[in-house]
Amino acid sequence: MLQATNLTKKYGDFTALNGLNLSINSGDIFCLLGANGAGKSTTINLFLNFIEPSGGQATINSMDVKQYPKETKQLLSYIPENLMLYPNLTGLENLDFFCGLGGKRYSKEQLEELLAQSGLQPDFIHQRVSSYSKGMRQKVGIALARARGAGVLLLDEPTSGLDPKASNEFSELLLDMKEKGVATLMATHDLFRAKDTGTHIGIMKEGVLIEQFKSEDVSFQDLEKLYLKHMHN
Amino acid sequence: MRDLFSIARKEIIIALRERLVVSLGIIILLLLGVALYAGYLSYSQQSRIIAEKQQEKRQEWLGQGDKHPHIAAHYGTFVFKPKTILSVFDFGLDTYTGTSIYLEAHHQHEFMFRPAQDHSSMIRFGELSAALVLHVLLPLLIIFLAFSSFTKEKETGTLKLLLSQGVSYATITWGKVLAYGVALVVILAPYIAGMFILATFSVSSSFIPDVALRTILLVVVYMLYIFIFLSLAVWVSLRSATGRNALLTLLACWIFLVILMPKTVANLSESFHTLPSMRAFKEAIQNDIRDGVDGQTPRSVRRGKLEKEYLQKYQVDSVHQLPFNFEGVSMQAGEEYGNMVYDIHWKKLRDIFHRQNRMGSIASIFNPYLAVQHLSMALSATDMHTAIDFEDKVETYRRELVRKMNNDMAQNSRYGEFYEYKASIDLWNEVEDFSYVVPSAFEILQYYKLEMISIVGWSILIILLLNYSNRKSKPIHG
Repeated sequence: MLQATNLTKKYGDFTALNGLNLSINSGDIFCLLGANGAGKSTTINLFLNFIEPSGGQATINSMDVKQYPKETKQLLSYIPENLMLYPNLTGLENLDFFCGLGGKRYSKEQLEELLAQSGLQPDFIHQRVSSYSKGMRQKVGIALARARGAGVLLLDEPTSGLDPKASNEFSELLLDMKEKGVATLMATHDLFRAKDTGTHIGIMKEGVLIEQFKSEDVSFQDLEKLYLKHMHN
Repeated sequence: MRDLFSIARKEIIIALRERLVVSLGIIILLLLGVALYAGYLSYSQQSRIIAEKQQEKRQEWLGQGDKHPHIAAHYGTFVFKPKTILSVFDFGLDTYTGTSIYLEAHHQHEFMFRPAQDHSSMIRFGELSAALVLHVLLPLLIIFLAFSSFTKEKETGTLKLLLSQGVSYATITWGKVLAYGVALVVILAPYIAGMFILATFSVSSSFIPDVALRTILLVVVYMLYIFIFLSLAVWVSLRSATGRNALLTLLACWIFLVILMPKTVANLSESFHTLPSMRAFKEAIQNDIRDGVDGQTPRSVRRGKLEKEYLQKYQVDSVHQLPFNFEGVSMQAGEEYGNMVYDIHWKKLRDIFHRQNRMGSIASIFNPYLAVQHLSMALSATDMHTAIDFEDKVETYRRELVRKMNNDMAQNSRYGEFYEYKASIDLWNEVEDFSYVVPSAFEILQYYKLEMISIVGWSILIILLLNYSNRKSKPIHG
């Protein structure tokens, strides 16, 4: 579903991403690990067509994101590190608005159901987002992904800054979407969450994917050692 | 289109929930309401006074009793510039051009009762008219409404979320323009409705027959003006990294377009094309009448030449033998010479006015504020060209009045019998009451081609700019 072929991004002499080859299938959660500046967010931004590649190709369902920007975006949902919604709209109004942009129309009851399924407390559904915590906003993001019926989920450090409970709830929602066949690419610093939630793990350094493996093939301790080894080299 | 309307709807809901925008909208609407009410009070009061005075002066003219026609020509009369209902909207130059003028033989008097003379120096900053609110304050409301339209989305990160839904920059941009446009039309709707009602039911439509058309054109011009400022504000926001930058840029644009440039253009046009003082203007006319345009044919020489011509023409030795009163002919000839001198000087003066105006028109190509200001006055019939048209028609009326008096004197009295002959009400009745009809909007708009080009050009330019920037924009530069 998600494929990067020799994907490269350069800013002048600086190479942010160097010849990335990656394939993520339906029901996979691919966690990209790496220090700041390793190229994780650049990869996600290339799949979103927010930046243009200097070389190679990013495809979603075999469609080049550069050639088919609108069509490929209809297939994906994106949750950034700090999902910002419109503070003067309620959670329900935000969800209704973003669903409408994707061409999906839901009744008020259906939207309430989607938000409740994503773990948002009923009391907050009709409150303005200005009173939401980061975790609550991320839940609206998950509700949006569900509502859009997205087959691809792009997550840029979505659990960063969340408390352990909220982070755990978020992971459960990801696993639920995995069961529904969603292909997920998640950039994260959180080794524990990557091991716990991901089906595949990749380690990036200085724009290169230096290691990738199935998460079931390594223990958490081995993952930590491997990660630290690459970071210190 | 569906996405565009969704974005517009969202923007309107957010704008309604933001108190600052709602408060500013209410303030603008209140100011417009106050301006409309004050303008209408002033209009109805002045219209009533003008109608009363016009009637009174007409009765005075008819009731002046039997007298020599030339004395009647000096007794003279007054004519009044009627107030058009659209002056309620835009006072234009009415404040400065005056409302009445005294007509008599040999003299072209200046307008009297200029409202600006009765006001403090604060009038120079502009009276509170609806046009002033729309020209000057509405762009400020637009700036506060739209400066953060994109920067806020960028700063909070909602822009990325929007774009990740597959929405294009163009859809977001035009959705925002549509939303703010609708909000402004809703704010202005009661005012526009009020203007239409006043214009439609106005009693003044006899001297401004195309008042409905003018009102429609005014609405079109102001809609384009709003569109230009709105799109400019959204464009600056699209191009700016932060709301602060966008706000400062837009406020700088506002100060330049609305305050600095119009004043600078006015000062420069005055410096390049200086008007003579009223005293110098009148002195030059008097000198030319006294000494002749060439400075060598004084009044006595001209009269002698005329006398000689008539004696030769009628083969007589003395003006007493002419079959008419030569005094009447001589006075009419003097009047016509005075008119010719006046026309020469008046043309020079008007050429200066036109050159000054031309500078303003050229400047309006670079400044939609100036273009709308000029068009607004033109369509409200309170501009310089309408004022000049009125003066021309008044002067034609004055000349006809004097000609009738002189002709009557020539035909019905004898030479030397100045005090013996008396004309009566029959002659006074031959002079019809002065009535003025404003030139049609299309006639007046001929003088404002550059302003019309400016408004349309700016509208096209801003569409092209937005479309170009929409194509080039990326949420992340690189």
